Amino acid sequence: MRIKNHPILEFKKQSTINFTFDGKSVEGVSGDTIASALHNLGIRKLSHSIKDKRARGFYCAIGNCASCNMIVDGVPNVRTCVVLLEEGMAVETQENKGVLYERT
Amino acid sequence: MKANIVIIGGGISGVAIAYNLAKKGMKDIVVFDDNYMTGGATGRCGAGVRQQWGTKGNCIMAKMSVDFFETAQEELQYHRDIEFKQEGYLIVATNKEEDEQFAKNVILQNSVGIPAKQLSLEEALEIVPHLNKDIVTSATFCNTDGHLNPFLMTDAYYHAAKRLGVKFFYNEKVTDIIVENSKITKVITKNYEVITNKVVNAAGGFSYEVGQLAGVELPVYSENHEILVTEPIEKIQGPMVISFSKNIYCQQVPHGSFIMGRSDLDVERGHDIGSTHKFLDEMAKTAVNLLPPLGDLRVIRQWGGSYNVSPDRQPIIGDTDQLEGYYLAVGFSGHGFMFAPMTGLLVSEVILGLPTTIDITDLHIDRFKNNETTEYEHSVV
Ligand SMILES: Cc1cc2nc3c(=O)[nH]c(=O)nc-3n(C[C@H](O)[C@H](O)[C@H](O)COP(=O)(O)OP(=O)(O)OC[C@H]3O[C@@H](n4cnc5c(N)ncnc54)[C@H](O)[C@@H]3O)c2cc1C
Ligand code: FES
Repeated sequence: MRIKNHPILEFKKQSTINFTFDGKSVEGVSGDTIASALHNLGIRKLSHSIKDKRARGFYCAIGNCASCNMIVDGVPNVRTCVVLLEEGMAVETQENKGVLYERT
Repeated sequence: MKANIVIIGGGISGVAIAYNLAKKGMKDIVVFDDNYMTGGATGRCGAGVRQQWGTKGNCIMAKMSVDFFETAQEELQYHRDIEFKQEGYLIVATNKEEDEQFAKNVILQNSVGIPAKQLSLEEALEIVPHLNKDIVTSATFCNTDGHLNPFLMTDAYYHAAKRLGVKFFYNEKVTDIIVENSKITKVITKNYEVITNKVVNAAGGFSYEVGQLAGVELPVYSENHEILVTEPIEKIQGPMVISFSKNIYCQQVPHGSFIMGRSDLDVERGHDIGSTHKFLDEMAKTAVNLLPPLGDLRVIRQWGGSYNVSPDRQPIIGDTDQLEGYYLAVGFSGHGFMFAPMTGLLVSEVILGLPTTIDITDLHIDRFKNNETTEYEHSVV
């Protein structure tokens, strides 16, 4: 899924970042946003619509549409397309509108 | 066109008056609004409904209006839920003066049948656990207060009035009211001339100007009040939380968003309804100070709307001896949404010459005539 060879640009090999997605150990690379790492893993469904629970995925990719909202390290409604991936992050699918209380 | 009466303004006040008049059998009622439906203060408001007021008049208006909201969907035969969420208003005190003033308010409220009670900080925290314990001293709570959807409520009145024959014209500004020999003869709009001898001024933020069209002088002015909405989250807050000393009201609507507002004490009078960074900044700080977890929410949108303010911050309702056939529903001072059912009822009774359901001496414009001090409402944000 990653572009490795490009006629003009050169991609240097990046270091691996380990994180979990819904409890499973997975990998991304340095420089990934959470959503780009998931995309590379073939994960297309990041969230779902509030009312009818229809699948929502990587959409605007600039933090505007909330289509990629997930729970990251217990924090709900994280725009995963604009948050850089970090070692050890726990990324989870959010089943509801987000529960504010769990953090405080 | 001919009409028995022309109502200027199709906000919540205008539609409630139209409905009540039509229900009592009046025919040929015309409503003109310069905007789209709910384009005035009505569609911009917090739509909080509370009975915990500091003057008796406001308490009674609010209580009887709540009684109406509880059965409004049925009475107006509306096809949708009006989203009346009756989970109370928690009015928090943050200093000794407020503790004492609120104790007095509760006695007044109880005396007219409003089930408000004073709470200790601990009791308040049971109802809203995320209150900042360090700044709240006590609170009052009334469980039948709440909020509802202003768009749906206006639409419900509109449809009910329309079924009874009321004619509505939106994007239709009233540009003149013709008065001959001290009698109203015509109302002129962008596209129409209506022969009529009765007019209701329910023009919200522009009520002063609509008074001027007929030479009626009104002691009201308008000022911008800003408000914002956050992204939705799972429900954590039942009641509207409000503080006069901290200058904030904040509710979680059924959809999950938080809606909150506060007053800008330096705001200039006028028709500006823009949005400022100052508001966003002060609002966020105030909200996070009183309700700390809300700091994690994103703001989705902010906007402004007009408060049409009267000298004692109570509405001006009734007729006026300045001009026969000219009726007023103005000066709601930031709480006209919750009073609308009573506004509609009382103004219709005055127009039809019926005895009014409650005494409206304290709401009549004549209260400002003598230098008699009218009762000033302090419980406002
Ligand atoms: C930010 C904010 C928060 C608020 N929160 C609350 C709250 O929590 N609870 C509460 O009870 N109240 C609240 N209010 C107050 C409430 O919104 C108003 O008191 C109420 O909506 C007034 O309704 P209205 O029908 O009288 O006026 P509006 O809704 O303003 O309607 C007046 C209408 O008259 C029309 N008009 C004006 N001039 C003309 C003309 N020349 N010709 C034709 N039409 C004309 C306008 O287009 C407008 O639609 C709030 C207000 C604001 C701004
Ligand atoms: S994809 Fe739109 S906010 Fe992330």
